[in-house]
Amino acid sequence: MVTDRSQVWSPWTIDDIHAKAELGRYRIRGFSTFQKVTHFDDLTFLSTGLTRFPLEGYKEKCNTRTVLGALNAENPLVIETPIYITGMSYGALSANAKTALGKAATMVGTASCTGDGGMLQAERAASEKLIYQVLPSRYGFNPHHLAQAQAVEIVVGQGAKPGTGGMLMGVKVLDEIAEMRDLPTGIDQRSPARHPDWLGPDDLAVKIEQLREATDWSVPIHVKLGACRVTDDVKLAAKAGADGIVIDSMVAGTGASAEVLLDHSGIPTVPAIVMAREALRELGLYRKVSLIASGGIRSGADAAKALALGADAVAIGIAALIALNCNKEIPESDFMSEVGVPAGSCHHCHTGKCPVGITTQDPELMKRLDPDEGAERVANFINSMTMEMALLTRSLGKGDVHSLEPEDLAALTIEASAMAQIPLVGTNKVFGT
Amino acid sequence: MRALNRRLKDLAAEGAEITVTNPGARHNTGVGIFHPCKINIEGSVGYYSASMIDGPEITIHGNAGWALGENMMSGKIVLTKDAGASVASTIRGGEVFVGGNVGARAGISMKGGALIVKGNSGFLTGFMMQKGRIIVCGDAGEAVGDSMYEGEIYVAGNVGSLGNDAVVEDASEDELLDVWATLERYGIAERPTFTKIVSGKKLYHMDSLERLEKAAI
Ligand SMILES: Cc1cc2nc3c(=O)[nH]c(=O)nc-3n(C[C@H](O)[C@H](O)[C@H](O)COP(=O)(O)O)c2cc1C
Ligand code: SF4
Repeated sequence: MVTDRSQVWSPWTIDDIHAKAELGRYRIRGFSTFQKVTHFDDLTFLSTGLTRFPLEGYKEKCNTRTVLGALNAENPLVIETPIYITGMSYGALSANAKTALGKAATMVGTASCTGDGGMLQAERAASEKLIYQVLPSRYGFNPHHLAQAQAVEIVVGQGAKPGTGGMLMGVKVLDEIAEMRDLPTGIDQRSPARHPDWLGPDDLAVKIEQLREATDWSVPIHVKLGACRVTDDVKLAAKAGADGIVIDSMVAGTGASAEVLLDHSGIPTVPAIVMAREALRELGLYRKVSLIASGGIRSGADAAKALALGADAVAIGIAALIALNCNKEIPESDFMSEVGVPAGSCHHCHTGKCPVGITTQDPELMKRLDPDEGAERVANFINSMTMEMALLTRSLGKGDVHSLEPEDLAALTIEASAMAQIPLVGTNKVFGT
Repeated sequence: MRALNRRLKDLAAEGAEITVTNPGARHNTGVGIFHPCKINIEGSVGYYSASMIDGPEITIHGNAGWALGENMMSGKIVLTKDAGASVASTIRGGEVFVGGNVGARAGISMKGGALIVKGNSGFLTGFMMQKGRIIVCGDAGEAVGDSMYEGEIYVAGNVGSLGNDAVVEDASEDELLDVWATLERYGIAERPTFTKIVSGKKLYHMDSLERLEKAAI
């Protein structure tokens, strides 16, 4: 006997069938995919030796300032670090969480982003640089809020659920959220997948022009894509006039998604960045149209690798929530009794029972997150990431994180070599070419 | 277009009465005007005309492309001829009146306000509508009111078919009087009877919940 149980019918597979046999529908959960895919850990940096010399790792100047969406906008989005906080809806997140993220963004000179369901005033007040999302649902969409934004993001798809709209279970659609979204209180909200007013890329071009007119051509208009047919989608979005493209991979986090989509659709972040970069290069728009990568960015190393592969910036979701205390036992919480799993295994954002007050609308649970303390932790975390990036960059002999390039990397696996188009360590070979 | 919209915004801020001649059926004519004012457009307009507005009264003597009045917050739009797809999509307030016919997805994701169509409407009228009122004096195409949440759709002519979870409900006397009064404001004196379509509310909830989800509720 090789193992004591079937490798095909794992305990999780068995449990999954039991759950569906009871439920009679697809399962839903928050957090992220549980699939193991090629990720940034499969790449390593080739720091300096005798062929080139490093900058002083802890001291010398290293630029992290990042300019996004400068192609058409009079006022591009200028952030002090190439890391910003992704769009997470007020509804999926508590007001305290949204406020904390907005504050943290301001503390480190970066941006935060609204999400499905419209703009929370407290986030607007806290976040100096706020990206305003235009989603298929248009819940809470307000042209006055649009006019206040520092950038606009048209959401075509999300990596965690490409091809579907947002989802918010009734337990979170409480009075204020329902009112903001113009929905009946308590419904299980399943948002539209298609935009109401445009369908194809030609229409998207007119939509982008409309948003420019509504914002007086002052701010960048980005397009967010769930990473699937990246090459074609990126080209079409760029041709439609996007100033920036957010490529959100299958690794990306979510507040609630059908499990079947989380685990069985989309492609990982590493190949998504490379495909997007090449698509833009083919159009002569690489480094003109900004490329923002998201999905499973956990550290400065991940962010630096994303930049080396071709991104101009990264957006973080789950990592920021973890900095807020997601999956951490705190004095007020008891994960086992509240969500049935220990801290570290929680993925129950969709239930509204978040033991640490992040993904909940329950006023009592929400109190477990102090927005000021939370903001401090997220700001510390982003600063740590930025420092890690700078340290790696200097060790490569470079003084600007935007000088990172594919040549700085080697692949640790054949798969990563093929997906990242980077030689496998110990060989000169790029697999798959 | 940029110059025209800039000028419209400036004049609107003064509360002026504005006439646009030769609009040339261009897209994005009159986007994002936030002040009460009167605008007359003498000719046809393209996609997204009079969209994202809050306050103005805009009359268009001609046809319009897709998404006329999209995401209007308040104000009034009168179109004398036909509108393309997604007329009055996602509007949150105000009124859109179309003197001719409208294309597919009229009033899609409406969140308030009213859409009044003198002629016929196309496929998926009131798709995922959330609030507000749609009145169609002619025929409505297939799948009327599909997946609507709240709001009402009144159709005087033939209803091609009902959409998913859309049901017919009797209109009360008061509701009919109100609909007729609205039509009268746009010079329609006839008082047709209407089929009133609302949400069956069967899609409001997932059919079942997992143990943990149940505990949460
Ligand atoms: C709680 C939560 C809520 C989210 N809400 C939205 C949303 O409203 N709109 C959107 O485009 N993406 C939403 N997302 C996806 C994020 O914008 C982003 O694509 C993703 O979190 C990136 O991956 P990461 O979490 O691994 O960093 C949400 C993600 C989370 C975790
Ligand atoms: S701790 Fe809260 S935010 Fe983190 S996975 Fe659990 S429910 Fe979601």
